[in-house]
Amino acid sequence: MASSTLRNQRPPFYRDTRTIAIMLQVLFLIAVLVVGWFLYNNMATRLASGNTAAGGALSWNFLGQTAGFGISEGPTFRPEESYGRAYIVGVINTLRVGVVGIILASVLGLFAGIARVSNNWLLNKLAMVYVEIFRSTPLLVQLLFWYVGVIAALPTIQEAAPLGALGYLTNRGMYLTWVYPSETGQALTWWLLGGVIVGMIVAWLRRRQLERQGVPGSGFLAGALVFAIIFVAGFLLTLLTATMPAATAYELRRGDRGTLFEDSNGNGAFEPDIDRALAYVPITLYGADNQVVATGLTDGDGAFRFVDLPAEASRLEWTKPAPLVISEPQRQGFNFSGGISVTPEFAALLLALVAYTGAFIAEIVRAGINAVNKGQWEASRALGLNTRATLRMVVLPQALRVIIPPLTSQYLNLVKNSSLAIAVGYPDLFNVSRTIVNQTGAEVQGILLVMATYLTFSLITSLFMNWYNKRVSLVER
Amino acid sequence: MTTDIRSTSWVNPNHPAPAQKPPASEVGVLGWLHTNLFSGIWNSILTIVTLIWLYYIVTGVVQWAINAYWEPIWVNRKLFAVGQYPMEQLWQPALVLMMVSLLFGLSAGRWGNIMRNLGIGLGALLLALAIIPIGLLAQIVMAVSLALLLAGYFIGARFAISSKWLAIAWVLSLPATFVLLLGGIYLPALDIAWSFAPLVETNLWGGLMLTMLLAVVGIAFSFPIGVLLALGRRSTLPVVKVFCVGYIELIRGVPLITLLFMGMTMLPLFIPSDWGNPSQLVRAMTAITMFSAAYLAENVRGGLQAIPKGQYEAADALGLRGFDKLRFIILPQALTKVIPAIVGQFIGLFKDTSLASLVGLLELVAVGKAVIQQPEWLGVPGGVAKEVYVFVAFVFFIFSFGMSFASRRLESKLGFGKR
Repeated sequence: MASSTLRNQRPPFYRDTRTIAIMLQVLFLIAVLVVGWFLYNNMATRLASGNTAAGGALSWNFLGQTAGFGISEGPTFRPEESYGRAYIVGVINTLRVGVVGIILASVLGLFAGIARVSNNWLLNKLAMVYVEIFRSTPLLVQLLFWYVGVIAALPTIQEAAPLGALGYLTNRGMYLTWVYPSETGQALTWWLLGGVIVGMIVAWLRRRQLERQGVPGSGFLAGALVFAIIFVAGFLLTLLTATMPAATAYELRRGDRGTLFEDSNGNGAFEPDIDRALAYVPITLYGADNQVVATGLTDGDGAFRFVDLPAEASRLEWTKPAPLVISEPQRQGFNFSGGISVTPEFAALLLALVAYTGAFIAEIVRAGINAVNKGQWEASRALGLNTRATLRMVVLPQALRVIIPPLTSQYLNLVKNSSLAIAVGYPDLFNVSRTIVNQTGAEVQGILLVMATYLTFSLITSLFMNWYNKRVSLVER
Repeated sequence: MTTDIRSTSWVNPNHPAPAQKPPASEVGVLGWLHTNLFSGIWNSILTIVTLIWLYYIVTGVVQWAINAYWEPIWVNRKLFAVGQYPMEQLWQPALVLMMVSLLFGLSAGRWGNIMRNLGIGLGALLLALAIIPIGLLAQIVMAVSLALLLAGYFIGARFAISSKWLAIAWVLSLPATFVLLLGGIYLPALDIAWSFAPLVETNLWGGLMLTMLLAVVGIAFSFPIGVLLALGRRSTLPVVKVFCVGYIELIRGVPLITLLFMGMTMLPLFIPSDWGNPSQLVRAMTAITMFSAAYLAENVRGGLQAIPKGQYEAADALGLRGFDKLRFIILPQALTKVIPAIVGQFIGLFKDTSLASLVGLLELVAVGKAVIQQPEWLGVPGGVAKEVYVFVAFVFFIFSFGMSFASRRLESKLGFGKR
């Protein structure tokens, strides 16, 4: 009787676990709000008292104001553009170093990781030394070492010797031979794009066909072949059909510089808003006695400039370029023209990020390969596959499932670590945000902007890698 | 009839054929070379290419190291060790070193395992520094510390010291370090000022000492916060859970350097103006602690998830309530499991403290930068940057690699990596 009354009695409300849970959460919320309000209030008071340059309110208007500083790298940015655009240029620079870094670090890490499980003792130990040295020292020290110790110690532009046909390494940057689509190659971009799309479709169809036939293999080869055929056909077609514009004209100033352009209105003067500059066209400059004084290419903006010419040029001739031209860096006084240039800041940051992250990825790859059951190796050998085929077709695909999650966090680390750019002056998003903050005093907004950007990167990378992880993960019965 | 069995004709005297020696290519040096370096054509080519490559790297590095200009590092060894800490008060950091050595010795003797490995590493370092002629007084300090380490080890191994008291001593060693380095107790907010030596401002602290201090404070202060965050993340209360997940993911999603800059410029905004402005060291430590707590929470969460459900149920069956369940059953097991992960995190944090040089703290990397710019070395062809950064990297390497080695030995002993 007594027990049944006990059972029917509800516990007092303060002993009810559901009530306790709600009360605890309310208390927690109140505590968080009180602390948050305290901090916010202090901040508001300090900002209002004018201790900082922000001058009071948390306004975002500064993003529209004129920046007044230039950015040395990435998309062209002029001082008269806005802070908002400056920040976007910074974001693009972060992505530039991040994407290239991720690709190179993956390649390096994959090779070093495979070397770590190699039967070759020497290679194995060499990879181990690499991994241990680069994992056990701070990235910042490595970055400063590359920047101040190695790149700054390269020869000056005047003394630089060419590295064969590759280009030049100098303490002011790397100048490398590069291939550009020329004036007649504009249509080639479309061929390229079409080739990629058609190639991907063919690869997909081929894979489906192989799957239906039950034959192992991927459609990559078929797709690549189709792509190559389309690309070569496009190249030949453009080479034969494309012509230079009929109204091609040039401007020659001071006998050594000028612009090659399509003169839309026929007035003979280059007007950037009306006329179209002609990029990467071979030109020959002639002097007063019709002797050749210089040969070269126009640059991406149709402009050209020569230094130390034997005589002043008075006339120019151009020839129709191939759709793709090879542009070699050429020393012009205290600088190089042509080719592609990589700044020392970008080079140092990339080198440091790749070497550092590569060491971590190597360990991840090693752990992934070791996680594959030994029986898989033995079974594959029993089927008659050699080591390389075993690695490529049996072990790596299985190791990938173990590798992907930690690899994702390494990729994110690389992007986050690129914020060390501020130590060498590469204008990444964080560096640009500091410049903006220093000029406007928008301290809080600057930090919020940077945090939101990095969180977006994290989110997008995680989403992509989760999708990829799902694709490669084991399909169980 | 006691004829030898072998004399009878039906037994083949050679029957168990005498064991033949293995071919020369399978044993000894040759065998090792064959299996490890020249087991096939492809492997042999690889070995030869690697050898040629290695030859160029090694000769290049050795030649550079011999011709390099190491003078700036030797001259500035005090700066690298403790920064601008006043010369006549160096006995204060020396006392800290001795205290830590004694505690390490006691812990190594009492707890063994990872502490023993770390203690051996510390001992080797102290021995090296006591032998190298870095300065008589400094050498004596190193020798005394080494003696304390060894004495502590024997006391810890021989006498049953209470683990609890040893842990409390470790916890107290951190405030003691601050008091010793400052030369007194200064708490302006509480109107306390007591000193036994002239005040040494925190902006004079530097070098390896500051690097170590930042990393230790980062881990120590973030420990309680990290555990709470980990528990909060696994909580059934949605509000608490969302808050903890939000904090952890927010911090883990941004680089440390943004938090450091935030700490430097925004921390003073968040406290009432009549509390004054916190010193740069406090700002950096706050940022590092906030950062470290999020990562520690994830490590502890790993430990919590590794506890089988039966442990919770057993605790429930014993009638233990929420807090007691955590205190006596769950946390002791979870925290023991995550020791290697926390050592790993400490190593990472130790390296990450180098970022403090970008916000004006004079830790190891910043000392390096300052040394490079000293006017004495302007005449050195090519500058001394390479030498200085290689040295700084070497110091970081010794500690990080030493700690990870100690931790890995523990892991292989417990069989973590083998399963």
